[in-house]
Amino acid sequence: MNKFIAACTLCCTIVLPASAAETKLENFQADTSVVAVERGVDTFMNACHGCHSLKYVHYRDLASLGIDKDRITVWRGDSTLDSAMTSLLSDEAAIQSFGKVPPDLSMMVRAREGGNSYIYSYLTGYYLTPDGKTSNHFFPLTKMPDALEISSATDPVKRSELQEKAHDIVSFLSWASDPHEAERKALGYYVIGYLIILTVLLYNVKLQVWSRLKV
Amino acid sequence: MANRIINWIDHRFPLTSFVKHELTGYPTPRNLSYLWNFGFLAGIVLMLQVLTGLFLAMHYKPDAAIAFDSIQHIMRDVNYGWLLRFMHSTGASAFFLVIYIHMARTLYYGSYRAPRELMWWTGQGLLLLLMATAFMGYLLPWGQMSFWGATVITNLFRATPFIGDQVVVWLRGDYSVGDDTLTRFFALHYLFPFLIIGAVVIHLVALHTVRSSNPSGIDLADKDNIPFHPYYTSKDFFGLGVFLIAYFIVVFFFPHSMLEPANNIPANPLITPDHIVPEWYFLPFYAILRSVPNMVGGVVAMGLSVMIFAFMPFLDRSRIPGGGRYRPVYRMLFFIFMLDILVLGYVGFVPPTSQTIAIGQVATIYYFGSFALLPFISKAEDNWLFKRGLPPKILALIASEEKEKTKRRQR
Repeated sequence: MNKFIAACTLCCTIVLPASAAETKLENFQADTSVVAVERGVDTFMNACHGCHSLKYVHYRDLASLGIDKDRITVWRGDSTLDSAMTSLLSDEAAIQSFGKVPPDLSMMVRAREGGNSYIYSYLTGYYLTPDGKTSNHFFPLTKMPDALEISSATDPVKRSELQEKAHDIVSFLSWASDPHEAERKALGYYVIGYLIILTVLLYNVKLQVWSRLKV
Repeated sequence: MANRIINWIDHRFPLTSFVKHELTGYPTPRNLSYLWNFGFLAGIVLMLQVLTGLFLAMHYKPDAAIAFDSIQHIMRDVNYGWLLRFMHSTGASAFFLVIYIHMARTLYYGSYRAPRELMWWTGQGLLLLLMATAFMGYLLPWGQMSFWGATVITNLFRATPFIGDQVVVWLRGDYSVGDDTLTRFFALHYLFPFLIIGAVVIHLVALHTVRSSNPSGIDLADKDNIPFHPYYTSKDFFGLGVFLIAYFIVVFFFPHSMLEPANNIPANPLITPDHIVPEWYFLPFYAILRSVPNMVGGVVAMGLSVMIFAFMPFLDRSRIPGGGRYRPVYRMLFFIFMLDILVLGYVGFVPPTSQTIAIGQVATIYYFGSFALLPFISKAEDNWLFKRGLPPKILALIASEEKEKTKRRQR
C-alpha cells in the first residue's frame, strides 16, 4: 500500500510542472467587500460599460449587496432598477468599430482558465510595440483597445493607480460571476461545523453499539 | 396501541418479517472494513442527486435558446438555487468517486467471484446507466463543453456498421447537436435515474440472497456473522457523516473546481474549443479511445474497456478464496492496474502530443493485457502458492468453512 502511495506521489510530481507552463499569470486575490465592489462598479461603468454588458446582473442586485441607492441611480440613468446592466452599444455599431460584439462580462472570470488572475493580468498586460501600437502579453490577438491606457503610462505612481483600478474591476467582476459566494461560504462554516459534531456523535454511537459484541 | 397497528399491518403486509429478515436479522460478516461502506454511500448520493435534480428541473428550461440563461437564473435568482446546482454538479463527481471505490474494493477482495457474479453484472449495468445519465446531464447547461462533448460522443456512433450515419441523426434528432438533442437528453436524464433505482433494487435483492463478501474472501459461516442492524447501520451512518463533510467542503468552498471554465461560455456551434476534455470520470476511457489510431477500433476498445470488467468471474481461476489478501501476485497486479488507470486519466486530460499518445498506447495495451493474462497468472500463482504451502491460518479457515457448510447442508 505504501509503495502504491509513493508511486502516486511520484506520478503527481512529474505531472505538476508540465501544467504550469506558458506566460506566467499574476496571482490575484479578489476583494469582494462592498467598498471594493462599489469602487469596481464605478470604474466599470466608466471604462467598460460603454461596450460590455452584464446581462445576468441587475441594478437591484447592487442595491441588495448594500451599495448606496443614490450612486446606483446615477449609474443606471434612465433604466429601471429591475433592468439588467446591458450596454447601450448596439451589436451593429460594435461590429462596425471592433469587428465583433464585445463579450458579455457576467461570467467572464468563470469562463477563462486562470479566472481572476487571468482577467487581471490581461487588463494590466497591455504594452506599446516599437511601431507605436498596443498589444497584450496574455491575449495578443485581442480586439479590445487598452481601456485603462496602462500601455502608455510610464510613471510608476500612475501605473500603480491604474493597477488599483484594474484590481477593483476584477473584484467587481468576480462578485458578478458568483454573487452568492459570501453567503455560500458563511453558510458553509455552519454546515461543516454541524456535520463534524454530528459525525463525532455518530462515531460514539458506533463505538457504543459495537462494544456489545463479544470478542 | 403501537402493537395493534403493527399487527394490523402484518396481517396485510409482511412488515415485521421484512424488517427482521433484511435488517435486524440479516447476517453480515463482522470483519467488514470501512471499504464496505461505499455501496450504502452510493445509494445516498443517488437519493441526493434525485432530490436536487427534481428541484433543479422545476426551474430549468430545456430549450437551446434559454437553457444557459435558465441555469444563471437558478444560480442567481432562485432561493438557494446555487446550493441545489452545486450539490448536483458536485454530486455527479461524488457519485463516480464512490462507485469507483466500490468497484476497486470488489476487484481487490475478489468479491465478484462465485456466488456473486450476478451482483457484479448488475453493478456493471448500473455503471453503464450512471455513465449514460452523467453524459446526458452534462449537455443540459448548454455551455461550450456541453455542446462539443455531446457532439464528439454522439459522433462515435458513426462506427455502427452499415447504419452509422442514420444512428447519429436518430440519437441527435437533427443533423447536428441542437435544440432537439437538448430536449431529448433532458427527458432521458430525468428517466434514467428511475431505471437506476430499479437496477439498484435488483442489485440489493441479489445481495440479500448471496450476502456480503468480506476481506478474507471466505464465506464465513454463521459463527462470524452479526445482524446488519444495529451494527452496520451505526457504522454506515458514521461513514456517511465523514462522506458528507468531504462532500459539503467541496460544495460550499470549492464548487467551481467541478465546473469546466469553457462551460461558462454559452454553446456556439461555430467556435470549437481548443481542447475538448470530458469530465474526470471519463478520462481513462477517453484516453483508450484516442490511443487507437482507427476510429472504429477506438470506439470498440473504449466500449470493451468498460465492459471487460464483466468477464472477471471467468478470468480469475485461482482456487484460493477472495482476492488480494492471500494472493501476493494478484495484489500486485491490482495496484499496477490502478496506477495504469491513473496514467490513462492523465493522458486523457492533456492535449495529445506524440509522447503522450505513445504513453497512452502502452497503458492501453497494459490495461487489456492484464485482463487477457489474468487466467494464466492466477493459475500460475495458485500452483506456486499451493506448492509453497499456504499459511496454516488460512488453511484452518478454509477447513472450518468446509465443515460448517457440510453441517448446514446436512441440516
